[in-house]
Amino acid sequence: MPEPAFEDMNPLTDEDFRMAVRRFVEENYPDIPRYSQRRLHWHENRPWYEILARRGWLCPNWPPEYGGMGLSATKQLIMVEEYERYGCARVNDIGIVMLGPLLIRYGTQAQKDFFLPRIISGEHVWAQGYSEPNAGSDLAAVRTEAVLAGEEWVINGQKTWTTLGSDANWIFILARTDKTVKKQAGISFLLVPMTNKGVSVRTIRNLELHDEFCEVFFDDVRIARDHLVGDVNSGWTMAKALLGHERVFIGSPRLSSNALVRLRLMAQRMDVWDDPAFRDRYTRLQLDLADLAALFETYVEKLRRGEPIGPDVTILKIFQSELYQRISELMLEIAGETAGYVEPLDGDPRLHAAATYLMARPTTIFGGSSEIMRNVLCKSVLGLPSA
Amino acid sequence: MPNDDEVGENIRMIVDSARSVVPPDGDLSRIRSLRFEARGFDPSIYRTMAEMGWLALRLPDEAGGLGLGMREYCALAEVLGAGLTPEPLISAALACRLLGCSVPKNVLAGERVVLAAWQDGPSDLQWRRGVTLDEGTATGGKQFVPMAAGAGAFAIPTQDGVAVVDAAAAGLELDLRATQDGGQAGQLRLSATAIELTVRPADVDAALDEATLATAAYLLGLAGRAFEITREYLVVRKQFGHPIGSFQALQHRAADMKIQIELTRASVAAAAAAFDGEADPRMRPVRASQAKARASETALLVAREAIQMHGAIGYTDECDIGLYVRKAMTVANTFGTAACHRRRYASLTSEPAAI
Repeated sequence: MPEPAFEDMNPLTDEDFRMAVRRFVEENYPDIPRYSQRRLHWHENRPWYEILARRGWLCPNWPPEYGGMGLSATKQLIMVEEYERYGCARVNDIGIVMLGPLLIRYGTQAQKDFFLPRIISGEHVWAQGYSEPNAGSDLAAVRTEAVLAGEEWVINGQKTWTTLGSDANWIFILARTDKTVKKQAGISFLLVPMTNKGVSVRTIRNLELHDEFCEVFFDDVRIARDHLVGDVNSGWTMAKALLGHERVFIGSPRLSSNALVRLRLMAQRMDVWDDPAFRDRYTRLQLDLADLAALFETYVEKLRRGEPIGPDVTILKIFQSELYQRISELMLEIAGETAGYVEPLDGDPRLHAAATYLMARPTTIFGGSSEIMRNVLCKSVLGLPSA
Repeated sequence: MPNDDEVGENIRMIVDSARSVVPPDGDLSRIRSLRFEARGFDPSIYRTMAEMGWLALRLPDEAGGLGLGMREYCALAEVLGAGLTPEPLISAALACRLLGCSVPKNVLAGERVVLAAWQDGPSDLQWRRGVTLDEGTATGGKQFVPMAAGAGAFAIPTQDGVAVVDAAAAGLELDLRATQDGGQAGQLRLSATAIELTVRPADVDAALDEATLATAAYLLGLAGRAFEITREYLVVRKQFGHPIGSFQALQHRAADMKIQIELTRASVAAAAAAFDGEADPRMRPVRASQAKARASETALLVAREAIQMHGAIGYTDECDIGLYVRKAMTVANTFGTAACHRRRYASLTSEPAAI
């Protein structure tokens, strides 16, 4: 695939940029589902991924020298808003959102040259291998082990809650490389081809009855020695930096903004839109969303300037996920008995209270549960004493 | 629009100069001593503030002002709120803003205190009906002028222009109600009261939006400092052999306060940027309401949680946290309650928030 020429969109006015995105989406969105409540699989969303890549718009958050857009925070938000407005599917973006920024910051030149273009081309589809059955909120307790044998790492263990793991052909993992030191100090960051011998994947059905999650098993999996990112045993530090990115991304107002539109549609459908009691509750949520967006922009701006994301990003993660849930709860309430439907109301995917409600549940669990986030906030930001 | 570096430098200077009014060590003895005294504020401090140009912060150069933006004004108001500053800067700056180029020199110099008497009711931004003008006199009523006991005159916006009336003019009655923060709310009755000066109708709504946003910033400063005092208490106060701040029941509530404070900060900053930037001016009242609704609720949340976390000492008048509680109770509903701003926000945004 020829590389698209870099086109700097930052000089456009916000309104012109918005219109450019809107036009592009309307003219180019492929024949795949819109307003889907579930994450689409790679075989479904790949056409959209490739269209974005051809336009040079796949990685708005990456610097131009790596094929990104180097886009301002405000314009990144506008882009997301326009995608949401049209109901565009979310692409498999773990490589773009999570791994790309980490490689750009910590990877060797050879790693950047090899991996980044392959993310853009879609040749590599990434999954994240962090959580394990006994390392959830206590992520530093990972037990998946990597041992250096000559020029290869040999990996044994199990990862779980791997989102869209069955679509991926590469996975980045946190693996234990030293058992003799403090748990955080013995973890390395490795890049593993899932096509290698010894990797097996099993899907898990979630509460929405979708197979988005996976378990990934590693049984004497051998990878090249240079598929280590950063130094041996520095994986925790890098992953924490990446978690900052993840929490900014999870803190995006996108989910809540999307849910609020659905809440409004449901309110109109159920004839409560003009009820003043409903409207006051709606306006509170609307204001929460507007302030979340204001806070989110300050973090996206930090990312864009290349500033480190501190532990205060937990604020964003907690508030976004809990706001998303509160919106979904009001939607479930006003849906009346239709709240129990497995299928959407009137066949409109946006009028699906149960799906919205269920989709909102794990957001306060993954990427660090709200309870752990509050603990981190108290310890690392407020300086409150430990028990 | 000045660039971000210039604004940053202006903010640094104005926050530095605010230290002459708000002690950096958080000492509140001045605030305590002025409570329920004649004026409730110190005229000499008020003059100092005027000499630093704060009354004319938002006025253009040609009116003798500093021509600064809302980002600078909000930075100043935040420091004043953190120090519970009782001098009625926002009300006085609003009066100057309403009078524009006609504001007298002695008023800008702080020699004569002129406060805005704009309010028709107790909880919203209505100003059009209270007072009418007729042949050089003003008749009607205005409510809730803060620190009105210290005013030499009032600037009254009406549909026919902004009228200035002397506080001692015949036909002017001022009913003072003591307020929780140690000041007073002035209820003004005018019966054919002689007008000293009339200025052609200004954009009163725009001026009120600026004062509303500045009040949100004041409440942000207040909430931030009250939270910091409470956080320090959680660290030092021990029960059951441990600092109470190590108990998760209190930690998670402290986290929730911090979340609301940072949302307020982002909301106020985004609003100030919208006033200063080239964004659609119709967004200004939307943003002002957004920030004020959040700031009022945050200040009251922090106030009540602060009392609870201090325990019984928090319920005594000698504990400084009470000064924050009582100021929050007094200021949270000025320039419109949270409910008023939610209603206004809803009516101004028929579509989900343009973010």
